[in-house]
Amino acid sequence: MKLLQCPVNGTRPISEFTYGGEYREAPDPQTCSDKVWADYVHNRHGAPGLKKEWWYHGPSGTWFIAERNTLTDSVSRTYLFGQEKDA
Amino acid sequence: MTLRIAEKKGEWINRDMPLTFTYEGQTVQAFEGDTMSSALWAAGIKVLGRSFKYHRARGLLSFANHDVNALMTDGVDTNIRADVIPVSHGMELFAVNTEGGVVKDKNRFIDRLSPFLPVGFYYKTFFKPRMMFPFWENKIRKAAGLGKVNFDYPRQLRPKRNAHCDVLIIGAGPSGLSAALTAANHGKQVILVDENRYAGGSLGYDHAADSSTSDKLETLLKQVSEHSNIRLICDAYAGGYYGDHLVPIVGKEGITKVRARSVIVATGAFEQPPVFRNNDLPGVMLGSAAQRLVHRYAVKPFHRGVVVTANDHGYRTALDLAAAGVEVLALVDMRQQSGDEQLAAAVASKGITIHLASCIYEVIPSSDKLGVAEVVLAGYDEQTASARFERSSRIACDGVAMSAGWAPAAALLYQAGTKMRYDYAVEQFVPAQLPEGVFAAGKVNGVYDLALRLRDGQRAAADAVRYLGGQDVEQIEVAQSFQLAPSHAYPIVHHPDGKNFVDFDEDIQVKDFINAAKEGFDNIELMKRFTTVGMGPSQGKHSNMNAIRILARIRQLPVEQIGTTTARPFFHPTPLAHLGGRGFHPHRLTAMHEWHVNHGGVMMEAGVWMRPAWYQPQGAKLTAQEAVQQEAMAVRKAAGMIDGSTLGKIEVFGQDAGAFLERFYTGKFADLRVGSSRVALLLDEAGVMVDDGVAARLAEDKFYVSTNSSNAATVYREMQRNLQLWGMSVTLVNLTGAMAAMTLAGPASRSILTELTELDVFEEAFPQGAIRTAEIAGVQARIMRVAFVADLAFEIHVPSSSALHIWQNIMKTGQPFGLRPFGTDAQRLLRLEMGHHLISHDTDGLTNPFEAHAGGLLAMDKAFFTGQRSLQILAAKPLKKQLVKFVLDPGFSAELPKECNLVINAGQITGRVTSIAYSEYLNRVIGMAFVAPDQAANGQQFEIRTDDGLLVKARVVQGSFFKLSAQ
Amino acid sequence: MPLSLLKYALSREHPAPRFFRDCTEPKKTYDAVIIGGGGHGLAAAYYLAKDFGITNVAVLEKGYIGGGNTGRNTTIVRSNYLTPEGVNFYDASVQMYEGLSQELDINLFYSTRGHFTLAHTESAMRTMRWRAEVNKHVGVESYVVGPEEILKACPQLDISCSGQAPILGALYHAPGSVARHDAVAWGYAKEADRMGVEIFQNTEVTGIDVKSGKVVGVQTNKGYISTGRVLSAVAGFTPRITEMVGIETPIVIHPLQACVSEPMKPWLNTILVSGSLHVYVSQSSRGELVMGSSLDPYEVHSTRSSLDFVEGLSSHIVDMFPFLGNVKVVRQWAGMADITPDFAPIMGKTPVEGFYLDAGWGTWGFKATPISGKTMAETMARDMAPELIKSFRLSRFEEYELTGEKGAASVGH
Ligand SMILES: Cc1cc2nc3c(=O)[nH]c(=O)nc-3n(C[C@H](O)[C@H](O)[C@H](O)COP(=O)(O)OP(=O)(O)OC[C@H]3O[C@@H](n4cnc5c(N)ncnc54)[C@H](O)[C@@H]3O)c2cc1C
Repeated sequence: MKLLQCPVNGTRPISEFTYGGEYREAPDPQTCSDKVWADYVHNRHGAPGLKKEWWYHGPSGTWFIAERNTLTDSVSRTYLFGQEKDA
Repeated sequence: MTLRIAEKKGEWINRDMPLTFTYEGQTVQAFEGDTMSSALWAAGIKVLGRSFKYHRARGLLSFANHDVNALMTDGVDTNIRADVIPVSHGMELFAVNTEGGVVKDKNRFIDRLSPFLPVGFYYKTFFKPRMMFPFWENKIRKAAGLGKVNFDYPRQLRPKRNAHCDVLIIGAGPSGLSAALTAANHGKQVILVDENRYAGGSLGYDHAADSSTSDKLETLLKQVSEHSNIRLICDAYAGGYYGDHLVPIVGKEGITKVRARSVIVATGAFEQPPVFRNNDLPGVMLGSAAQRLVHRYAVKPFHRGVVVTANDHGYRTALDLAAAGVEVLALVDMRQQSGDEQLAAAVASKGITIHLASCIYEVIPSSDKLGVAEVVLAGYDEQTASARFERSSRIACDGVAMSAGWAPAAALLYQAGTKMRYDYAVEQFVPAQLPEGVFAAGKVNGVYDLALRLRDGQRAAADAVRYLGGQDVEQIEVAQSFQLAPSHAYPIVHHPDGKNFVDFDEDIQVKDFINAAKEGFDNIELMKRFTTVGMGPSQGKHSNMNAIRILARIRQLPVEQIGTTTARPFFHPTPLAHLGGRGFHPHRLTAMHEWHVNHGGVMMEAGVWMRPAWYQPQGAKLTAQEAVQQEAMAVRKAAGMIDGSTLGKIEVFGQDAGAFLERFYTGKFADLRVGSSRVALLLDEAGVMVDDGVAARLAEDKFYVSTNSSNAATVYREMQRNLQLWGMSVTLVNLTGAMAAMTLAGPASRSILTELTELDVFEEAFPQGAIRTAEIAGVQARIMRVAFVADLAFEIHVPSSSALHIWQNIMKTGQPFGLRPFGTDAQRLLRLEMGHHLISHDTDGLTNPFEAHAGGLLAMDKAFFTGQRSLQILAAKPLKKQLVKFVLDPGFSAELPKECNLVINAGQITGRVTSIAYSEYLNRVIGMAFVAPDQAANGQQFEIRTDDGLLVKARVVQGSFFKLSAQ
Repeated sequence: MPLSLLKYALSREHPAPRFFRDCTEPKKTYDAVIIGGGGHGLAAAYYLAKDFGITNVAVLEKGYIGGGNTGRNTTIVRSNYLTPEGVNFYDASVQMYEGLSQELDINLFYSTRGHFTLAHTESAMRTMRWRAEVNKHVGVESYVVGPEEILKACPQLDISCSGQAPILGALYHAPGSVARHDAVAWGYAKEADRMGVEIFQNTEVTGIDVKSGKVVGVQTNKGYISTGRVLSAVAGFTPRITEMVGIETPIVIHPLQACVSEPMKPWLNTILVSGSLHVYVSQSSRGELVMGSSLDPYEVHSTRSSLDFVEGLSSHIVDMFPFLGNVKVVRQWAGMADITPDFAPIMGKTPVEGFYLDAGWGTWGFKATPISGKTMAETMARDMAPELIKSFRLSRFEEYELTGEKGAASVGH
């Protein structure tokens, strides 16, 4: 992947973006056990496959979610967080 | 005796521009346009280099940029590829990697030792006894490498260019040219590149004595050059294929990064040598090399020679050679039958004897071992790959042209992710499944007939145009028509005495493969690594295919089950300067940068910024230590000012601004009064301290937040992310660059400020932690009372555009008060005197707030803040270390411990010094250190080990350093 | 010319035997199965046989031995880490390496050249001192040196880095070495095989059977193998294997790239690493400059190369050595590095009984090959991790007890 589509600014070279890691849903800190929280903080779904990831377009300051296959490094879609339905 | 012949139509030399150069001290005449090799060859000089391992004499092999045995140095540059680099007037060339000259190379004796140097010999010896290895290693290193690097070679900056196109076509041979025309005619913007000086590919040299070929080429080239949609780039190669059709085109002057919408690979094929004893002698070369020599440079490869072939190309070569006046004594065809009847008839009509089912068993070298004297012909048994002597004969000659087949120049296709399959019809790997937007045409696609290649180019272009959305473009079919494959399935002749070379870069012979397999290295990747086949500078261009064929025979497996090795970038070795580009690493400069420099600022890199570490006052000759103490003393006794523009500066506003900061930082902000500020400690999810800044409330719905200089970008980014995640009604503005900041500190600071602003800056009206907006020297500023470096200090934020004006005004106004600028070194000392830790200086990537006495900044009773849940877990665990303040004994005068000296307790490491400095103001050595929790009580002593191993006693201080008694 | 080569010249038949047998059909059951025929897996097999007499062992390798990161790495061996646990562990490995050629009867080209970690900033200098102090404490030779000493070892270095990032000093480490990576894998394979271990290439583990929390066998493309002990030593493939047993770890996979220049006469006799410029370089005994950089910025499970990498690297190499402008890069490649958040490995037992993990080797695992093999063999044989690797246990993350290597993250190796 050398190009990435920012949902706001369109397709841009990858050098303009910063990878923000896998998006993981946080457990409820009020109710979850220490173990569940530690798992959320430290562990990752490391196996290859389609993942939701945070990406940041630097020049415009836009965070968004990219659905990317980490095996083939191909992005199937990108959208602003929470706007998955409209994407 | 010269080998130069009469002018050839389309030749690449300019006979009007003769030139002279020297090679190994000998003067040589040539023409402009000659490559080093062609010039030397024309002059009858055939020893162009020595081989890497055995130091055998080598001449021309490919004439296609993989003659890695003919590397030159001109005294400035090294490893110059003589086969393709033009010679220029006055050059003084020498072959690399010889001792005592290329002809008399002292290392040529190694050739005779070769029986002692079996494949992988270096794994088997030199290490017993252990102490002998350095001795042998030294010898091996001396023998290693090719040319010598010139340490005075000037630094090159080679800016890169970018280009875009619809269709990038790599290779301007017949298929590439026709693809370009087709794509361009469909309105596509085309870039067509070729590594040769002129376009045309095999049309320029593979004529089989048919003079109409050059006319065909001329017509094609004319059409291409006249087409406004085609940009033709010659003398530049595609270095590699990278994701999303990014291809760096490497030219003499630098790299053009082409981003294409589609790519057609029409890179042709590399001719492959048949393998027989002494197939490496100067004078033995590939058929296509001989053709290039004739047609491009008008040089005969030899006077009287033999063509050995295993395909029709050898017949074409024989015809071209005959037409150039070479006496072709025999055409030795390893196949059972010849292919194209017309070709065979044409060859026969020249009086050339065709020997079918025959091979060259060996070449007999001339007595000096520097050239060809005779070839030994024999029958060839394909099954056993051995010679049959019932039909053996000898022919005296001075050269051999060899054509056994081709290997697709498929490196770019592999890099793009193409799946290749072995096609028995052509005895070659061809693309089976191409990635999206990538197409192949011509020989690389297994198409050899000229008419078909032209059509295959059109076909690939039509496919590309359709891929780009041209649905109405008709699909083109290319029929394959072969009698016999253009490549031989096994052009290898075994010989009991070896020296039948497969890899000319690395001097690997047939038996090396057999022996490697015997030792268990019998899959292609292991074999490659054990024998080093294909690992040399030509990257296996002439050797990998034969290696695969040999291994397939050994394993009794079909070729496709052997597979290929991966073809990594670069297509040709690519200069570091080209890749490095401009080599420009920008620093950010503050608005006051120039002022600092002019006032003796000793500038240091601080993250992306340059900042003054300290100042050398005009005319003074202070040591850094003296300057730092003076600057700090000024702050304590009068006033000082530091440029703090590098701080991160973020405006947070909107209805949820307070609530947002409460989630983001550890402290409380919702209840913060307008006009005041609080420390903003940021943790990561694991509870590790990441940043501490200040958040000041400008209005109910507006905060101004500062961050540490080094974290400015990351904190802003994290704010933005969390904002999205939490979905709050907040707007963020990053003012880091737009705003400058300076801190005016010290007892006199208030008086200085009073002269420049109407604002009431006295304690009542402007207490610690307060923020005010007011004019200073006519500029609207935000002023904050912060106490990082001194109890009385004002942090002044103004637009960067007026920062220098304010700075200069304050400096001028402050002069009578003893105001001095101070740098980051004094700042660190002042901050230490104040007892404030510095995140990522006094803390590390694992420090949590409990360990750094930052518990007071945690509002654990809040509903949520980042890192809170982890802190709850950590709170239940015993502390492992604690950050404490310490002093050394008064009057301590021995070697000062340094930052990162260890705290030692009973022989164990219990911590380390994170900050330490002598404070002239306190007249004490003070510092901070991590210690074990049971060493952290006020007044407790611990020991620091210095560089010299001395143990220095230190005492924990829990209150302010300023309250220290002299004890 | 060493005498040991005489026999090759004198005998008609190539007198060397196979390094290891050509095993194709695995048996139905083994005492232990090792997934991954890289250096680590093969070393573990060797020490299981040698130290514990456990020889009914199968090493399963989906490709060819040494074809993973073992055969792609830039082979820097050193022990001057930051934490006492780290230094002790890697020092044990260095000591094993020093006699390994003789032990495995193969020349590993273990070449002790000295290693400089260059510091371009004051804060880097502090970290160097921290490491130096810890190393001194543990008894490993590593100390801070100034520019003069660096220049003595490498007079060609532009100490100002073309004015871009002047070098203030370095952490020197005399034992710093490089070695022939393939030979390490081959040597362990050869000796393990000699003691009875069976090595299967082209054999891929596709599933792991766990019954009531215990490993009972593995599925492979060559059929089912039952066993009570499984070691996963698959580096960049670790998440795929841990997924088979339902364990989550912090490991993420990032490509790590490297490249070599064309061969030239050796001139660079030390190993140089610059954290600030993100490059490291040494010159091999073939005369090639072996160069690498830091990790790729995002997760990808493939070994594709990128242009960004080689552009950035080249620009910094030329900063350090301005005269190298016309020296050419021949080949670039990548491996898949298994990265942990605290830059230390994950070794030992796991919540699944009989499933042992040797992973998280990221950019630094080649140097640990001997000691990881030895300690993992012990862990498997005794079902208990030795003291030396306790701090690398998987449970440290859940316990919030990450190793201190995180404190000073710079270019690894
Ligand atoms: C470019 C680069 C440079 C490096 N430089 C250094 C350095 O200078 N110094 C240093 O100390 N370290 C370095 N490293 C790190 C080092 O290479 C690795 O940490 C180390 O080699 C790991 O060895 P291993 O045996 O655990 O893994 P590998 O050698 O990767 O072996 C794992 C094997 O498992 C196999 N496998 C995977 N899945 C399966 C399956 N399902 N079934 C069967 N087999 C499977 C793979 O095919 C592979 O062969 C570098 C790494 C890279 C990529």
